[in-house]
Amino acid sequence: MSEKIIEFDNVTFIYDADDDESAVQAYPALTDVSLSINKGEFVAVLGHNGSGKSTFAKLCNAILEPTKGKVSVKGIVPDTEEKADEVRRIVGMVFQNPDNQIVATIVEDDVAFGPENLGIEPAEIRKRVDDALKCVNMYDFRHREPHKLSGGQKQRVAIAGVIAMQTECIVLDEPTAMLDPMGRDEVMQTIKRLNREMGITVVLVTHFMDEAVQADRVVVIDSGRMVMDGTPKEVFSQVEKLRSCGLDVPQSTEICHDLGIKECVLDVDECVDEIARLLGGAV
Amino acid sequence: MSYAIETVNLTHYYSKGTVQQVAAINDVNLQIEKGELVGIIGHTGSGKSTLISHFNGLLKPDSGKVLVDGVDIWKDKETLRQSRFKVGLCFQYPEYQLFEETVYRDIAFGPKNMKLSEAEIKERVLRAAEFTGVKPEHLNKSPFDLSGGEKRRVAIAGVMSMEPQVLIFDEPAAGLDPKGRKDLVELIKNYRKQTGSTVIIVSHSMEDIAGMADRIVVMNNSSVAMQGSVDEVYSRGNELRSMGLNVPEITEIFAKLRAKGIDVPANVYTVEQGEKILRSLIERRSAR
Repeated sequence: MSEKIIEFDNVTFIYDADDDESAVQAYPALTDVSLSINKGEFVAVLGHNGSGKSTFAKLCNAILEPTKGKVSVKGIVPDTEEKADEVRRIVGMVFQNPDNQIVATIVEDDVAFGPENLGIEPAEIRKRVDDALKCVNMYDFRHREPHKLSGGQKQRVAIAGVIAMQTECIVLDEPTAMLDPMGRDEVMQTIKRLNREMGITVVLVTHFMDEAVQADRVVVIDSGRMVMDGTPKEVFSQVEKLRSCGLDVPQSTEICHDLGIKECVLDVDECVDEIARLLGGAV
Repeated sequence: MSYAIETVNLTHYYSKGTVQQVAAINDVNLQIEKGELVGIIGHTGSGKSTLISHFNGLLKPDSGKVLVDGVDIWKDKETLRQSRFKVGLCFQYPEYQLFEETVYRDIAFGPKNMKLSEAEIKERVLRAAEFTGVKPEHLNKSPFDLSGGEKRRVAIAGVMSMEPQVLIFDEPAAGLDPKGRKDLVELIKNYRKQTGSTVIIVSHSMEDIAGMADRIVVMNNSSVAMQGSVDEVYSRGNELRSMGLNVPEITEIFAKLRAKGIDVPANVYTVEQGEKILRSLIERRSAR
């Protein structure tokens, strides 16, 4: 049995109503969600706008506290400030807009910000910052000004900032929503490398189905409830169900599904093979 | 006949007069026909947003001209003012720009600035709200009580209510889920069909552009690198990739099928199109 890193135990979350008007509208953003994420897993979380997936992400590193149920990280329940800090040292977070998470005027200072706050020795910080920047392929940019980088580069700097804190798990909330195709690809390659080579657990919240197929496991949230949880093949073979959740499948999956190919394909190469087989069989 | 929008040697610098001076757009000559739906693609920093910000005078050219309907928009103050009504610009994440007390007032803000009569304003607000799917019961609510997707519709209605001759969208579907994205693409296509206006879309989604544009303009290094029909542009996949872009996934699938020696056309840009071709191929083969 693999070691669990994040555990959701019947978690319900209701955004607090601070006045009467919105109190009427208070509805659960998440309802009775239970799942556990194993150490070293790469989990993609899908869901329509307003499905509760960002709430899910924020519960993972104690930015939010559940209304009901329990979230724990390596067995730690973040019910005090100290324990919340402990959780945030294990689980780091990267958000959608790269411009909102850069704090320093030089790339390496930005990456050093987290470890500095942890009170780590300068020599150790130096090493961690260099390693983290190398890891996201941004070492050559260490003396540059972050605001002059492209979106994909800024997101990689943000990821380096998390790695420099030596977190075991990284939660990314739509990190590629604002990026161009190359920026998206750079970020995805980086995420996969962190997971496969460094064994960092990855939770990726996304609207892009072609990103989700690259994960080990896909979780689908619909109107605050977890409705699917499985391997990419298990989830993406249910085309109609995904569409009913406001989601979709990659174009490769879609065309094979529409042509009646039984095998669920996830990427271009698999798709080309299946179509070639179908055409060959028809000769 | 004049173009909806024309740029003549349009150049704009950032950090002008400093050592860091850099051309954000350099000598751009572009013609956009009336009634066209043009997609603009290009990597981050290629100059797309700077370019479209010139189309209604939000940015002033450092050299060159912008003509709307054949008239230089910087000719005089009144022409510039009119160009803001003729060319509507819907920014990225437009929902962050909502500010009025009610949804109605937010959608009415543009028409009010145009000094239209109350009756005309009301008519336009209701028309734009209905078209974008803003619910009538939301009109008297605060825009801040709506969900993200609803807010975006309100923001789009606020530009549409000005009934501009040219409507420009900068990344209209960014951050939306797949269904929201599809619905928005349909909304824009219908808008163009119903009003006959010129529409310009800036997008990072090659799939969305393939499904709607008549013509594509590719920006790279502050200049127009390519322009042409969907076919002409997406048939140059390798060049696009070298510019940090790509082609729709379905186009890549068909390119690889051809590489395997399967006789399919190369110019396939939507799943519907691809499916039709493969179906007829399967039928033909099984008939033999």
